[in-house]
Amino acid sequence: MATIIIPFPFRKYTDKHREVTLTGETLAEILDALLKQYSGLHVIHDHPGLLSIFINGKSINGGVDQWNEITVTDSDEISLIIPIAGG
Amino acid sequence: MSWLNDIDQILLPPAKWEEIIAHCKRKLAGDFLPGESRVKRAYGILAGVQKGRVLHVQLVLPVKKNARNNEPLKTYMDTVMTEHAVPSTTPLGQRGWITDPEELMGCYDLCDRENLQIFGTYHMHIVPWDGDPIRDTPTLLDTVLARESNLFSFIISMVDIENPSMKAFFEGVINREIPIIIEKHPAQDS
Repeated sequence: MATIIIPFPFRKYTDKHREVTLTGETLAEILDALLKQYSGLHVIHDHPGLLSIFINGKSINGGVDQWNEITVTDSDEISLIIPIAGG
Repeated sequence: MSWLNDIDQILLPPAKWEEIIAHCKRKLAGDFLPGESRVKRAYGILAGVQKGRVLHVQLVLPVKKNARNNEPLKTYMDTVMTEHAVPSTTPLGQRGWITDPEELMGCYDLCDRENLQIFGTYHMHIVPWDGDPIRDTPTLLDTVLARESNLFSFIISMVDIENPSMKAFFEGVINREIPIIIEKHPAQDS
């Protein structure tokens, strides 16, 4: 289980919830559960290279293939960040 | 939770407007803060509260770091800009701004702690174009980069540095402009 912090622009997909607590033992399981609960959040995969993941404020290096190897605990706070850009 | 149909105007206190313009002028003057990207372009976040059909700007957050040339963001920006940016003699790597993820997370955390909603981002246009002498509207690139952002793009015209102006466009779309009113809210009088 872990808590995912939803970035403000994506709260339109989570019924305005700032955080969501989900069950899972790995980062991959937690993110799968998140996308099953809020299908609109699939937009985070629109530009895979843009998604940054932080656990307890620390950046997670590595791509999707490594998410299965990252274990999470009940106290972990996961932040999903997609940078915003301008011309 | 889209503002497009729920908002009639954006109220910007004069002091916040001055903060935004001071940020733009400082960057244009090449007066950079420690840790700040040394580029003469300003990028920032506006946050505040919604009251009825009005957004009240309460916080101006200048963004320090342009992650434009950090991979994998560089590849994304190069691709989008090659496809959508107006041709320029300025090298591609010196154009465009994308926020550093860690800095952005800090901005989100601050706004959550203060119970503020993020309304959007601002950046300035400084060079007049043929047929567009004021440059106070989004470019095609601005629109592409703001797509599905659920944020306003605040475009600041700094073509005439002594007479700057700013307009707000939901998701950077030119026909989704919401008027900005620069005035003190009655509740702030005291």
